Amino acid sequence: MSTFTGKLARVVLVVLASAGVYLVATHQHGQRESIRKAEVTLTPGCADKLRRYGLASGERYQSPYVLHKTGARITARGYSDEDVRAIQRGCNIIDDTQGRLAGDVGHERWNTTRFIRGTQLSCDHCHQSIGDKQDARGNPLKGSLSLGASWAMADMYDRFTGLLLPFELRQMQCYINSSNGYKPNISDDLIRDVTAYSRFLSVALDYKIGNHHDEQGVDEIPASATPKQGDDYVRGEALYKQKCARCHGPQAFGTEADGRVVAPALAGPNSWNAQSRNYFYYVSTILPGFICRNMPPGQENTLPNQECRDIAYYISNLPRPAGDRQGPVVALSHQVMMKVLPPLLRLTAADRSGGVPVERESGRDR
Amino acid sequence: MRAPALAGEFRKHWPELNRNLVVGLTLALVTLPQAVAFSVTLAGVPPHFGIYAAIWGVLFCSLLNPSRVFHGGPNTAMSATIGVTLLPTSPPFGAEYMGLALTLGLMAGMIQLLFYVVRPLGRMLDLISEPVINGMICGIGLFLIFRSLTTFGGLPLNTEVEWPLWIAWQSFLAVLEIGNLHAIEVGLITLITCVVVQQFDRLRNWAILSGIVAGTLYSHYLNVRLGAENTLIEQIGNLSSIGFVFPSLPTFSQEAMPDLVAILPGALTLALLGLFQTVAAMRRMNRKAGGFTDSRKAIFSDAVSNCLLPFLSSLPTCASFNRMWLVHKLGTHSRVAIASSALWLLLLVLFLANLIAVIPMPAMAGIIMLLGANMINWEDIKPHFQSRPEAMVFTASFLSVLLLDLFEAVLVGAALAIAYSKWEQAHPGISLRGNVLKIRGNLYYGSLPVIEATYHSAIARGGDVVLDFSECFYIDQEGIRWLAAVKAGQKAAFVDRRRGGQRRVVERDGAGRRTEESRRETQRRRKQDRRRRSDF
Repeated sequence: MSTFTGKLARVVLVVLASAGVYLVATHQHGQRESIRKAEVTLTPGCADKLRRYGLASGERYQSPYVLHKTGARITARGYSDEDVRAIQRGCNIIDDTQGRLAGDVGHERWNTTRFIRGTQLSCDHCHQSIGDKQDARGNPLKGSLSLGASWAMADMYDRFTGLLLPFELRQMQCYINSSNGYKPNISDDLIRDVTAYSRFLSVALDYKIGNHHDEQGVDEIPASATPKQGDDYVRGEALYKQKCARCHGPQAFGTEADGRVVAPALAGPNSWNAQSRNYFYYVSTILPGFICRNMPPGQENTLPNQECRDIAYYISNLPRPAGDRQGPVVALSHQVMMKVLPPLLRLTAADRSGGVPVERESGRDR
Repeated sequence: MRAPALAGEFRKHWPELNRNLVVGLTLALVTLPQAVAFSVTLAGVPPHFGIYAAIWGVLFCSLLNPSRVFHGGPNTAMSATIGVTLLPTSPPFGAEYMGLALTLGLMAGMIQLLFYVVRPLGRMLDLISEPVINGMICGIGLFLIFRSLTTFGGLPLNTEVEWPLWIAWQSFLAVLEIGNLHAIEVGLITLITCVVVQQFDRLRNWAILSGIVAGTLYSHYLNVRLGAENTLIEQIGNLSSIGFVFPSLPTFSQEAMPDLVAILPGALTLALLGLFQTVAAMRRMNRKAGGFTDSRKAIFSDAVSNCLLPFLSSLPTCASFNRMWLVHKLGTHSRVAIASSALWLLLLVLFLANLIAVIPMPAMAGIIMLLGANMINWEDIKPHFQSRPEAMVFTASFLSVLLLDLFEAVLVGAALAIAYSKWEQAHPGISLRGNVLKIRGNLYYGSLPVIEATYHSAIARGGDVVLDFSECFYIDQEGIRWLAAVKAGQKAAFVDRRRGGQRRVVERDGAGRRTEESRRETQRRRKQDRRRRSDF
């Protein structure tokens, strides 16, 4: 009898647990579905950008940008209401990844913060101007990591692993390394909406699939593109203090004001990790390329190649989180470094300069 | 005349044979999805690599390994190691990559052969204690559940190497939020059917099979009613291209030499990982089944199989905790059942590939989750929590499987177990009653400081001290030198009363010198001890 009760209890337990899981799953699915159908509140940046590109549902789509630039009336297949909402949500995610402008982060941004360890990083920090950086005349900028141009080269062979990486997998890599976080599932709305937005950009800017554009990816700067003085940490430190520290902070931990990120962290717990391709020791050409073509904002392309490499070299020597492949032990040691070193450095820097480390232009003395 | 006799013989053995065949079929069906999943998602090679490992690897092991519960075949950790080792060399699924994968397996097999030939190396593998193994089993059980979550929810697998616990949680949330509801239904139906059928003792062996059948029927029903393009339930897929044997040659060309050198550490890891799992699983499961098999035989069978398998387009083999657990759970301890699982699988892929093709992956994931849950057995774990050091070793090895990886878990567990036993030895029980200092345990370099401390405090109190060795089992050279020095100090007397509390040998003078009588006495006692030990 007791064994019968035990068996019955086991079966009932399993059935109840299964039913519970199924009920929760249906509820969550329903919630997702309702968000997919809900009106999207755009961030100011996205509202402006999507209005300029004339995003609206309809049978046909004609890009105002292309019309203005070339005078050609190119019509493409239009977007349904559902598509428009996905594009809008994608734009919001790029512009405001941390959901600081959202009423409900979990719902409006598909839980992006769950996949990013830090509290500052946003897609917009690398893919500037919401993934579509242009000069004053509206020309896309070389090496500006344009999302539209990136979509046009949607499935790329990764030059490190030799794998054919679809656009979705490339996004997932961003989450693991560049934002020092975790990979969302490939079929998550988070990935799908950003893909929809990137695809829309490529249509709005008339990028043809498979074409390489200068604004796609980073314009990499190898050592061979410099006068070959060798990369110098000390020079890099001086340059950083001179040109970057004002916005990114003396220790490159980023600066915030009024709840908005003024400049993101380049080091410390909020930064990219040591497995990222932004990390100079991993790939030495990408971060210099990014700095030269995108920094400082408003004065792009003003830094010489060697200076970009020096700054990148310096930045990569600052403490930062371990990558996901380095395991918990290394990660722990990095965390300790990030916690212990900065206060110590602050202390010693304050001693040397009499209290104000930021304004000190130590580079000139050296 | 002969035919009826044979028929009678057959009738006599038929019930057992029948049971073995059913168990074999179940094993084959459980191995199949694992073989496909391990080769494609972990090792980065086509599915036939895993399937041939599940056929030839299992068959070789069942022929070479005398254990009645040993089930070889493809293995999670080994497949993952292949993927991680070869990723920097060439793109997965390419010809070059597959060649290197075979070479890696062969190298691992040869390293394992070394472990067989050099005895002490093989003996080192025995230094993994039971709490370590049980911790690993529980960890792997949980890991299997986590790993199957995405397939259970009809989602693509997250293949990047990441921290498993976090990924498990993310996968669970993803299943709830964006999982394919039809896939979840199929998985749950499989799971519930299995658990219900398991409760009937007579049908227990058929539980997994009936679960798979129920899941497959339900998914078929959904596909017919809603259309496969709407349900999107993943199925095992077409395996009809797989033949009887697929001979292959590992890469050993001059151009590949740099790559071969580069993957050598990977080969060592692969070899050790396989052997550790084999030895640990054998010991645990044999003990559970009430048998014993020398671990050297398992090392030999693994090594030889792994040297042969690369020539048959197969992944390397080692013991599989979960399938051995299944063999034990199904209550059949027989090599016939194990060998028949390989033959069943061969028959299945040769003749029933079309039928296998429609088995839904969520059903398979449900089965693997159930296996994982069965591996965590409170009855086995409970004894480890009765002593604190054992509990610590168990917990450490359990957590390291989840936080680190399998190989590191073995190392952490073994190191802890060794440290614990050394710690125990270094702290012998010392009691000081009156002027008698009694030592229970070993007298060696590690424990000397502890003994010395008590000895000197006793001396400091004044008077002579009697050192009682009655329960001292081992004295090393350093211990002997110390005793000689103590004796020379003329302040201590030595006592050994091993027999019934009678004081036998009291030596006050002549440090370390024995009388002829006492030597004879000692010899006699040793002989008796040996006889007593042999009784066990």
